[in-house]
Amino acid sequence: MELFLQRLADGLSQGSVYALMALGLVIIYRGTGHLNFAQGEMALFCTYVVYQCGEWGIPIGLALPIGMVVGFALGAVTEVALIRPVAKKSPFAVFIVTLGLFQFLNWLDGAIWRDQPLPNSGVGSVQQQFPSLFPSKDTDFITIFGADIKLQSVGVFVLVLALTGALFLLFNKTKLGLAMNAVASNAESAKLVGIRTNMVLMVSWGIATAIGALGGVVFAGINHNVNLTLMFTVFIYGSAAATLGGFDSPGGAVLGGLIIGVIENMAAGYADEWVGQQLKVGVAFVVIVVVLLVKPSGLFGTAKVERV
Amino acid sequence: MSLLRAQGLTAGYGPVTVLNAIDLEVNEGEIVVILGANGAGKTTTMRAVSGTIPRSGVVEFDGHDISRTSPDAIVRHGLAQVPQGRGTFPELSVEDNLRAGAITRRDGAGAVAADLQRWFEQFPRLAERRSQRAGSLSGGEQQMLAIARALMSRPKLLLCDEPSLGLAPLITKELFEVIERLNAQEGLSVLLVEQNANLAMHMASRVYLLETGRIVASGSAAELSADDTIRKAYLGF
Amino acid sequence: MTMPFTLRSGGAASWALRLVAGAVLVYVMFWIPTQASNGVIDTCITALTLMAAAMALNLLLGYTGQISIGHSAFFGIGAYTTGILVSRYGWSPFQTLAVAFVVAFVVGALVSLPALRIKGVYLALVTLSLGLVFPQLIKAPKMEWLTGGARGLDKTGFKFTKKNPTYEIFGWNPWGNLRGENVKPFLYWIAMIIVIIVYLACRGVVKSRAGRSLIAIRDNETAAAVMGVNLAVTKGLAFGLSAALCSLPGCLSAIRTGNVTPDSTNLTVLGAITFLIVMVVGGAGSLWGPIIGSALYVFVTDRTGDWSDKEAIPAVLRPFFGWSHTPPGSGIFAVVLIALMFVAPFGIVGMWHRVVRRFVKVVPRPAGTGTIDTPATAPAEA
Ligand SMILES: Nc1ncnc2c1ncn2[C@@H]1O[C@H](COP(=O)(O)OP(=O)(O)O)[C@@H](O)[C@H]1O
Ligand SMILES: [Mg+2]
Repeated sequence: MELFLQRLADGLSQGSVYALMALGLVIIYRGTGHLNFAQGEMALFCTYVVYQCGEWGIPIGLALPIGMVVGFALGAVTEVALIRPVAKKSPFAVFIVTLGLFQFLNWLDGAIWRDQPLPNSGVGSVQQQFPSLFPSKDTDFITIFGADIKLQSVGVFVLVLALTGALFLLFNKTKLGLAMNAVASNAESAKLVGIRTNMVLMVSWGIATAIGALGGVVFAGINHNVNLTLMFTVFIYGSAAATLGGFDSPGGAVLGGLIIGVIENMAAGYADEWVGQQLKVGVAFVVIVVVLLVKPSGLFGTAKVERV
Repeated sequence: MSLLRAQGLTAGYGPVTVLNAIDLEVNEGEIVVILGANGAGKTTTMRAVSGTIPRSGVVEFDGHDISRTSPDAIVRHGLAQVPQGRGTFPELSVEDNLRAGAITRRDGAGAVAADLQRWFEQFPRLAERRSQRAGSLSGGEQQMLAIARALMSRPKLLLCDEPSLGLAPLITKELFEVIERLNAQEGLSVLLVEQNANLAMHMASRVYLLETGRIVASGSAAELSADDTIRKAYLGF
Repeated sequence: MTMPFTLRSGGAASWALRLVAGAVLVYVMFWIPTQASNGVIDTCITALTLMAAAMALNLLLGYTGQISIGHSAFFGIGAYTTGILVSRYGWSPFQTLAVAFVVAFVVGALVSLPALRIKGVYLALVTLSLGLVFPQLIKAPKMEWLTGGARGLDKTGFKFTKKNPTYEIFGWNPWGNLRGENVKPFLYWIAMIIVIIVYLACRGVVKSRAGRSLIAIRDNETAAAVMGVNLAVTKGLAFGLSAALCSLPGCLSAIRTGNVTPDSTNLTVLGAITFLIVMVVGGAGSLWGPIIGSALYVFVTDRTGDWSDKEAIPAVLRPFFGWSHTPPGSGIFAVVLIALMFVAPFGIVGMWHRVVRRFVKVVPRPAGTGTIDTPATAPAEA
C-alpha cells in the first residue's frame, strides 16, 4: 500500500509535467490545427535560460518568470515569423518548419551550453544541480498513510492544479479566452465578429511556449539536471497525453497527462521485469496508437479533430 | 446620406475574378437588397465589402475609406456581417456566441449584459437555450443566433447573406419581421442578399440585380417590379 | 517567353546529355576510392549511408505522402541484425543484409497496419514514438542477452587479417588493400552498392504500375480506391519496402565501424529527423532529391566539423559560431531547411526544375511510348 501510494505520487508529479507539455500542444492545436513538434525543444531552450540565470546568481523564484517571459516571446515570434507565412502554403510546410526548429534549437542549446549534465557542466557551473522549485532534499517528505511522499511531488502537483485553474479562468472568464475559443471553433467567423485572429494566434503560441517553459523547468528540477535530450521523451509523453485527452481539450490534456504519468510509473514499478526504466516510453507509444485507432478524438476532444 | 459606398469593386478567388467593378450604395436607414441567381457573386460581394477576401476598388463606410482595412477593424467601424451558412461557433454556448459578438465593444460589461438581455427578449428561443452548444441548435435558431451575434457589436450596417437559406417559410417570415422592426425602430441599415425575390422585395428600399459579377439593374422595388422584362427574367413573378 | 533551348525527351540530344552525365558520374564514382585520401573516402561513405536512408524514406513520404519520423528504428534493425548475426553467430556480414532486409520488411509492414487508419501528423507522432522506443527496447534488460544492452555489440564488421588476399585487376586495385592496411575503398564499394540497390529499387517502384498507384494514393486516396488501387496492400508494401531498404545502410554502419551502440545518432530520433530533413531539402518526391540533400548535408557538416576550433572559422562568421565545441552543421542545415520552406517548398531539385524550365523547353515523349515521368516536384501533403 505504501509503495502504491508512493508510485501514485511519483506518477502524478511526473504526469504534471506531461500535462504542462500537453497543454501547450493543445493550446496551439486549437488555434491553428498544427501539431508543434518543436514544443519540447522550445521548452528546453527556456529551461537552459533559467539555468543560465542560476549561474548568474538569480534565484529560481525570479529565474522562472524570466524563463517564461522568454518562452512567451519565443513562441510569439515563432508564430509570426515562421509559422504564419508558411501556413498559407501547406500544412506540410508547417510540419517541416517545426521539425527544422526542433533541430535548430537543439543545436543552439548545444552550441551555447554544451552537451554536459550538471553539475560539472562545460560552462563551469556554480550550481550544484538544477534548481528545484520545491524542497527536494532527501529529508523533504511528508508521510501519508505510512507512505513517504516527496514534498517536491506535492508541490509540482499543486502547481499544475493551480495553473489549470488559472487557465480555466482565462478560457471561460476573459475576453482573450473567449477570443481564443472563438478562433478555435471557427476562425473565419472570428474575424467577422472583429477578433484580431492574428493577435490571438500569436498570443496562443506565446502562452503555450511559456507553459512549456514551466514544464521544462519543473522536469529539470525533478531530475536535478538539464541536458540536450531531456525533452525528447517528455514531448512524446505530452503528445500521448494530448492524444488521450483530445487534441482540442485543455482539461483533457491535464487529465491525460496525469493518467499517463500514473500508468507509466505503475507499469515501470509493478512490471519491472518487462517494462522497467527503459521501456517506460513504450507506454506513450501504446497509448498514442491505441487512442488514435480506437477513439481518435480522445476522451474529451470534439470529433472535429480530423486525422488527415 | 450614404453610409456604405463601393465604387469599381472588383474581387475574386486567386486567379479567378468574380466581381467586375460593381458600384453599390447603402444610405442610412435603408434596407438594400441584392438579388441574383446562384453563383451570380452575391456572397462574393458581401465578402469583398467586409474585407474577408482580397479586393480592389474604393469602399467607403461611414466616412472612412475601408478598402485596405482588415475585416476585424471593419467590424470596429460598425459593419457587421452574418455570413452565408450562419457561421456560428458550434462548440461555444449560445451566450458565449453572443458575447463573442460584443468582443469589440469598449463600453463596459454592464452595457453588454443589457444588450444580451435585450436580444434574449427579442429571441426567446435563444434565451431558453443560452447555455446549450450553438452546434446543437436548429437551423432557424442558428440563423437567429447569427443575427443576434452580429447585432451585439452595435453595428450601423448589418450585412445579411441569404438568411432564408434552408429555413421553413414561417421561420423566414418571422426572421424578416425582426429585421424590418430593427430597421424601423432603431434605424439599422441593412444590406441583404436574397435569392427569393418575392420575399425580399416587400421590405427593400432599393434593389440591385446581380448577374455574373455585374450589376444589371438597380432601383426601388416598385421601379423594378414595374419593368416587365426585368420582372420576367429575374424576379420570376 | 522564348526558350533558348529545346530538349526532346527520348530524343538524341537528351540521350547525349544523359550519356555525358552518366560518364561523369561513373568517373567520379571510381575516382574517389582510387585517388582521394582516406578522409575523403570516409566522408563519402557517411554521405552514401545517409543517401540510402533518405532515399528509402523518400519512397514512403515522397510517393505515398505518409510521414515517418521513426525510420531510425529501421536503420537500427539493420545495424543490430548485422551486429547480432556477425558478433554472436559468426555470420559473414554480406549474408546478414538479406536477413536484415526481411526483418525490417516484416516490421515495416506491421507498422503500416495502424498507418492505414492514422494519417498525416498523427502518423508522424506514432512513428516518432516508435523511433524513441527503439533504442530503449535495445537497452531493455530482457534484451541484453541479444543486443548487449546499452554497451552495444562489437566485432560486427569484417575481419581483416594479414592473411587476407588482395585482389587486383591487371595490377589495378580499386578496393584497397584487404590486409587491414587500407580497407576504406572496400567499405566505400559496399556503401556504393547499397546506394545503387536502393536507387534501383526506388526507381523500379516509381516507374512501375505499383508506383503509379502509390502516387495516386498520395494525391487522392478516395480516387485511388475508386480506380481499383488496393490501399491496404499498396500502403503495406510501400511501408515494408521503405523500411527494408532503410535497414541496408544500417547494416553498412555496423560493418563499417565494427560496433553497434543504441545511442549512435542514426539509431535515435535525431537520425530519423536528419533523414527527413536532407530528403526535404533535396526535394521530396524526386529520385535525386535525397541524393543531393545528403551530399550537401555531409559536405556542410564536414566543412564545418572543425569549427569548434575558433581559428578554423572564417573571420566574418566568427561572432556567430564557436561559443562551444558543438559543430554548426546541423544548425546551419536546420536554417537552410526553414528558409527553403519559404522560397522553395519543393527542395533543391524542385528549384532546379523551375530554373531549367525557364531556359530549356522539355518536350515530353508522345503519350503511350514510354513510362511516365518522375513526378519531380510535388511535395506530400501533411
Ligand atoms: N471560395 C471560393 N473559391 C473559388 N471560387 C469561388 C469561391 N466561392 C465562390 N466561388 C465562385 O464565385 C462565383 C460566385 O459565387 P458566390 O459569390 O458564392 O455566388 P452567390 O452567392 O451569388 O451564389 C461562383 O462561380 C463560384 O463558383
Ligand atoms: Mg451565396
